[in-house]
Amino acid sequence: MSYFNDRIFGVLMIVLAVAYGWAASQFPVPFGGTEVVGPETFPHLLAVVLAISSLYLVVRPDPDNAWPWSRTGIELIIALVVLALYAMSLEPLGFIVSTALAVGTLCWRMGARPVKAYVTGLVAGTVVFLIFNFALDLSLPLGLLSLLEVG
Amino acid sequence: METLGFLMDGFGVALAPENLIFALLGAFLGTLIGALPGLGPANGVAILIPLAFTLGLRADTSLIMLTSVYAGAMYGGRISSILLNIPGDEPAMMTCLDGYPMAQKGKAAEALAISAIASFIGSLIATIGLILLAPILADFALTFGPAEYFALFLLAFATLGGITGKNPVKTVLAACLGLMIATVGIDNTGVQRYTFGVLELYEGVDFIIVIVGLFAISELLFFIEERAGKGHKAIKVNGLKLSMKDILEILPTSLRGSVMGFIAGVLPGAGASLGSFISYTLEKKILGSKGRFGTGDPRGVAAPEAGNNGASSGALVPMLTLGVPGSGTTAVLLALLISQNITPGPLMFTQHADIVWGVIAALLIGNLLLLFLNIPLVGLFVKLLSVPPMYLLPIVTMVAFVGIYSISNTTFDLYFMVAFGFLGYVLRKLEIPLVPVILGLLLGPEMEKNLRHAMDISDGDWTVLWSSGLAIGLWAFAIVGLVLPYIVGPILRKRMQVKTGVPETPGD
Repeated sequence: MSYFNDRIFGVLMIVLAVAYGWAASQFPVPFGGTEVVGPETFPHLLAVVLAISSLYLVVRPDPDNAWPWSRTGIELIIALVVLALYAMSLEPLGFIVSTALAVGTLCWRMGARPVKAYVTGLVAGTVVFLIFNFALDLSLPLGLLSLLEVG
Repeated sequence: METLGFLMDGFGVALAPENLIFALLGAFLGTLIGALPGLGPANGVAILIPLAFTLGLRADTSLIMLTSVYAGAMYGGRISSILLNIPGDEPAMMTCLDGYPMAQKGKAAEALAISAIASFIGSLIATIGLILLAPILADFALTFGPAEYFALFLLAFATLGGITGKNPVKTVLAACLGLMIATVGIDNTGVQRYTFGVLELYEGVDFIIVIVGLFAISELLFFIEERAGKGHKAIKVNGLKLSMKDILEILPTSLRGSVMGFIAGVLPGAGASLGSFISYTLEKKILGSKGRFGTGDPRGVAAPEAGNNGASSGALVPMLTLGVPGSGTTAVLLALLISQNITPGPLMFTQHADIVWGVIAALLIGNLLLLFLNIPLVGLFVKLLSVPPMYLLPIVTMVAFVGIYSISNTTFDLYFMVAFGFLGYVLRKLEIPLVPVILGLLLGPEMEKNLRHAMDISDGDWTVLWSSGLAIGLWAFAIVGLVLPYIVGPILRKRMQVKTGVPETPGD
């Protein structure tokens, strides 16, 4: 059994605690002069508590959970990329097109057959778009499909 | 009987046609969320918050809807326990013990109906407990000063891991992360903290984005990793044959379970899982050789269900009166309150009496609705179990995207949500609980404010934080909450695991 996860995370958190605490010391003095509890007091407290608990984690780590290297790991990265692309394309491509692509790809990568996957995405996207734009009166971006809009 | 008058007003609010419709919708959606694979109650309520927000629902309506979702999810969680021997969420674990054997004997419909009735009794008793206890606790909480509040928040974090929690240090670490995220933005002296000059960060990090990211997006990643996309085969449910005698038989069990559950729900650090565990074990002890526990005894289904639902209503007591939630789902409900500009805590009972009592009345009505919804519609909910996650989770992700996007119409928030989803995945892998992160994020500003007030009053003397008897008591409890898991935690966990044979599930 290995204990790397908690140790590495603990070290990272100590670095974060130090950086966070140091950044708090750089805060400008608030308008109206120094107070007993300034903007930096609470962050300093947090930095100390975080550093202590991270140190404990480094010294007494729990056994590791396995990380999914190999193929599953790649699937995870694909999923994250799809989500990022979804966010990026939502406005330029419009809600329906980007949803069909993103939901479709996710369903497909999770094991659905490609045709079924993308049809699911398209139907889900269209239904939600119609509900939001007409029933709820909240506008989602139309994007590419705005060419089809009459008038 | 001042309380009775308030309750009547509450029924007036809850029975308004609009609120009644949303309560019904919430109860239905909640059962759906509980029954669907891979959507816990905290998760389900979280993705519905932005929708309630963008629909511009009034505070009372949205709170009523989401408490109904909360109650409904508890009903829904038992369906997969009974039919598949897979608990939908952690508290439903104990229901597997006798529920699944009943289903194997061809009594699935009876098991489902009994668990619905026991759930109803559990919620009913606990809601009555809530009505009696909450005003007293709220009055008491009015005597709290800033130092007491600061200590109370510490107590909430210390006990959040629960006495069955694994590693209290990880709870502390998670709480720190949440509190740190809460400090981002312009503080109340006008100083920018950790904004790095990014305009979107000036107002701080929106906790709804963090909650949806941590819960919903990390769930998707977990399902991908476990390759659990296929779903389960549909299960046949027999025709229901339930006589009055069967109901009478489980009545004493349900009543005892409800009371135990309520107590477990109100106390910090216990929660619904322990509530159902205690009810089940107690019932087994009381009945002794008269029970056939573990082999499909209906009372073995009724006890944990009553306990579980009793605890989930009981958990609303500290959330409503002190503004300190004790579980993941109540933390999410607290997020809803804050997003509606309602400051939770004792003052809520005087300033927003209509909302508080409306919600309490809605709980009573919601449970009645759920009982009537569950018995005839159980067939529909059973079908949902066979929805494969490979279609469901991408669609849930889309709903999360729509909800977050519609809050502010910017894609910046979406990137943030995805980033928090990844963070949530990493934290869950490291077995660092997510609920303290959320709670830290929600309570951070209040905690800092109370610290400032306390120090201003004492003029910089730190001992003010533990100068009153009440504050000392709270500190002592907090320390006990952190130390106790080291002593009794391993023993209790072992007993729970031996009994159920189900390994613990991450998250809430």
